[in-house]
Amino acid sequence: MAVAIQGMGHSVKRKEDPRFLRGRGNYIDDLKLPGMLYMDILRSPYAHAIIKSIDASRALTLPGVLAVITGKDLDAAGLAWMPTLMSDKQMVLPVDRVVYQAQEVAAVIATERYIAADGITLIDVDYEPLPVVVDPKKALEPGATLVRPDREQKDNHIWHWEAGDKTATDQSFQEAAVVAKEDIYLPRIHVSSIETCGCVASFDKMAGKLTIWMTTQAPHAIRTVFSLVSKIPEHNIRVISPDIGGGFGGKVPVYPGYVIATVASITTGKPVKWIEDRSENLQADSFARDYHMTAELAATADGKMKALRIKTIADHGAFDAAANPSKFPAGLFSICTGSYDIPAAHMEVDGVYTNKPPGGIAYRCSFRVTEAVHAIERMVDSLALKLNMDPAALRLKNFIPPESFPYKSATGWEYDSGNYPAALHKAMDTIGYADLRREQAEKRARGELMGIGISTFTEIVGAGPSHTFDILGIKMFDSCEIRVHPTGSAIVRIGVQTQGQGHETTFAQIVAEELGLPVENITVEHGDTDTAPYGLGTYASRSTATAGAAAAMAARKIREKARLLAAHLLEASPDDLEWKDYQFQVKGDPARAKTMADIAFAAYTNHPQGMEAGLEAVNYYDPPNLTFPFGSYICVVDIDRGTGEVKIRRFVAIDDCGNIINPMIVDGQIHGGLTMGMAPALLEEISYDEAGNMRQSTFMDYLLPTAMETPAWELDKTCTPSPHHPFGAKGVGESATVGAPPAIVNAVVDALSHVGVSHIDIPITPWKVYAILEAHGLAAP
Amino acid sequence: MHFEGSEAIRAPVDAVWAFFMDAPSVAGCAPGFQKMEVLSPEHYKPTVAVGVGPVKATFTLDVTLTDLRPPHHATMRGHGIAAGSGVDLESQLDLAATGESSTSLAWTMDAVVSGAIASMGARLLENTAQKVTARFFECVREKLGTAPR
Repeated sequence: MAVAIQGMGHSVKRKEDPRFLRGRGNYIDDLKLPGMLYMDILRSPYAHAIIKSIDASRALTLPGVLAVITGKDLDAAGLAWMPTLMSDKQMVLPVDRVVYQAQEVAAVIATERYIAADGITLIDVDYEPLPVVVDPKKALEPGATLVRPDREQKDNHIWHWEAGDKTATDQSFQEAAVVAKEDIYLPRIHVSSIETCGCVASFDKMAGKLTIWMTTQAPHAIRTVFSLVSKIPEHNIRVISPDIGGGFGGKVPVYPGYVIATVASITTGKPVKWIEDRSENLQADSFARDYHMTAELAATADGKMKALRIKTIADHGAFDAAANPSKFPAGLFSICTGSYDIPAAHMEVDGVYTNKPPGGIAYRCSFRVTEAVHAIERMVDSLALKLNMDPAALRLKNFIPPESFPYKSATGWEYDSGNYPAALHKAMDTIGYADLRREQAEKRARGELMGIGISTFTEIVGAGPSHTFDILGIKMFDSCEIRVHPTGSAIVRIGVQTQGQGHETTFAQIVAEELGLPVENITVEHGDTDTAPYGLGTYASRSTATAGAAAAMAARKIREKARLLAAHLLEASPDDLEWKDYQFQVKGDPARAKTMADIAFAAYTNHPQGMEAGLEAVNYYDPPNLTFPFGSYICVVDIDRGTGEVKIRRFVAIDDCGNIINPMIVDGQIHGGLTMGMAPALLEEISYDEAGNMRQSTFMDYLLPTAMETPAWELDKTCTPSPHHPFGAKGVGESATVGAPPAIVNAVVDALSHVGVSHIDIPITPWKVYAILEAHGLAAP
Repeated sequence: MHFEGSEAIRAPVDAVWAFFMDAPSVAGCAPGFQKMEVLSPEHYKPTVAVGVGPVKATFTLDVTLTDLRPPHHATMRGHGIAAGSGVDLESQLDLAATGESSTSLAWTMDAVVSGAIASMGARLLENTAQKVTARFFECVREKLGTAPR
């Protein structure tokens, strides 16, 4: 074979890296169109205030300022509000009030970016500050400041959601010998992708066509929403998502800036560029987490888990602008029974408005799975403490047995496949668990603080299936279109959109494997709604599970036609051919064979009479179920008694994402994911003062991990393929972000459990640890 | 944020009171003071530049004096706005003669600061406020021509 196929399982170097590494990526801010104007946005200093007046006269005298857009202007066009993805509505620009700090107040359109920035300082806004509510528990109290007087319902409660069997669960708790209970807060955090959000909107008045280059993870869904809201026919809207510098869920929602820039372009007839600065991105774009959970886990005296109960208050800020599937206001939080065979479970979540920026998106996680995993993995350790049992032994005793799959959980999910004991045993062997426990006992006797933390998480990724999952009514299938060219190369267009995941490489590998064409001869395109097939986009680890499956299915359609062409070329019956070694060969006579390149040429030059020419196919894949990747992580920490600093000494991550397309890319995803999991565990948090001021609006205060804090991750795998996915893959992009935080917290709690510590909220900062050390007389003098 | 303090001033209580009732004198002592529009003796609009850490802002304040009980008590309320920041202040001023030419001044200040100056300068805000206050009273003592020590 002249050129290697390099299909499934090859660590093919990423096709996208040559341009990224050479600074030749094409991001939104690289785009420059003739006559392009620039937009900047004035934001509210107040978390809650009446806008008495907006006076733009000084700004309009600044040379280069062409227009100032306010909520009243948008209101006249019926665009002052827009729908969120969660059946709520959100202000694009306010008409009379602001409801969180850094909310958009007005926009300046100017000939240069700096003039636009100067222009916003010349807008005079008269605000009358109102009382502010930032704590969701206070927001639920009678008489609390009303965040959303526009609603008919005159309180701050958004929705109530439940899953599981309350009666059976309560009954189990009454009968339980042992109950562990913890209040667990997962703070607000921000995805902080390296590229902030932005767009270039360009309305062609002659053609009536609107083109928007946009930092979006879901271009097709955006196009449909824009068409429905603006009434511009959908064929006259083109959304292009070029190279995207990280999404992590933060580029799923529609931000007001996109809409205002679009209005500005339609009004001026010129392209308008809007790019956020870093503080705007941190302050105003969708946050993640902010879950106040009270969790209880019941068990028998010998450690058999019987029931799980969780009550949660979900702080959504001023608008419910999360990006969950429509029927799941709390996402997939009900996966919180995790890897354990727990007969009864019940959870309640209440969504609440506060004077904080809107959101509730999934920071590199499949719709609140991080919250679910954190809750159960913390509770298992809390229960182990109550039972005075080793946390590994307690897990092994309660895992869903490998022979029980497919397994139906107490909250109704059908787990496709898993082998949790194998993964945990591998992690324990790799790290030397028994030796570590001995070391810990010796150190504890000497007064040194060392902890070992385990997280044996299960994820739920790859939404659809479409009978259960939709976003604003659009079903969560995904798609792929393949066209094989006469000389044996191909173009693959997909409905999902890469933000750094390596789709241009991995989707080429899927098709290479299925068609026997070399990966280097396959081009992957995505992100342009005028050319790509309709899809719901990339987030929640869904690309491989949905569009990846569609790629395999479309390739298999092509292969079926190729079989007929090969039969024609080989003058054999199609039934006498077999697909083997990436070619069709006559059964029992492998010398008589045709490669896909031979067949492709024939499809255009020598196809049999009566058969359509060409070799192409499209598939819209609706997965029969979600996939359930899992892993076993073990973390070893040492605590400095002088400073309270937590140092991760070792971290072993055993992941199981089924069959792997590109091991190098998977390892890269896990390295990044572990670092993004360590970040909220030890560093990142968004908090507000009583006036609603965000305390971490720059990277000076919002602490991203650097190479200095990041340990050397130790990776390995087990492989339990998904039985229902066309090539047995599951999805891995978020496993590590979801699985890592509880391993780290469990390790820190384990180091301090002998003095009665059973839980610490993240981020576990040196200050927080030092306070615990002082309280228990453990601080070094 | 709540601040409070007391100052011993070597001047008669009437002189101190007169000083505080004279808007240009008071404003002149505010660090960063730029200009002022006086609408009435009890209502004026000073423009003041403030810097907290990396954030610089020029506030236009709307200040009113109420609850005047000469020469012992005054309440000052201020509402100010700058690009990206807002501030709301309420200050109580209590004077008492401690001698023929000495006055004790007790003050409180409650401030709600919003926007960039609060979120970006959060860690420096209290420190900056203390510095500004110290410089203000230093100026008051100088202006009254009777700086102690």
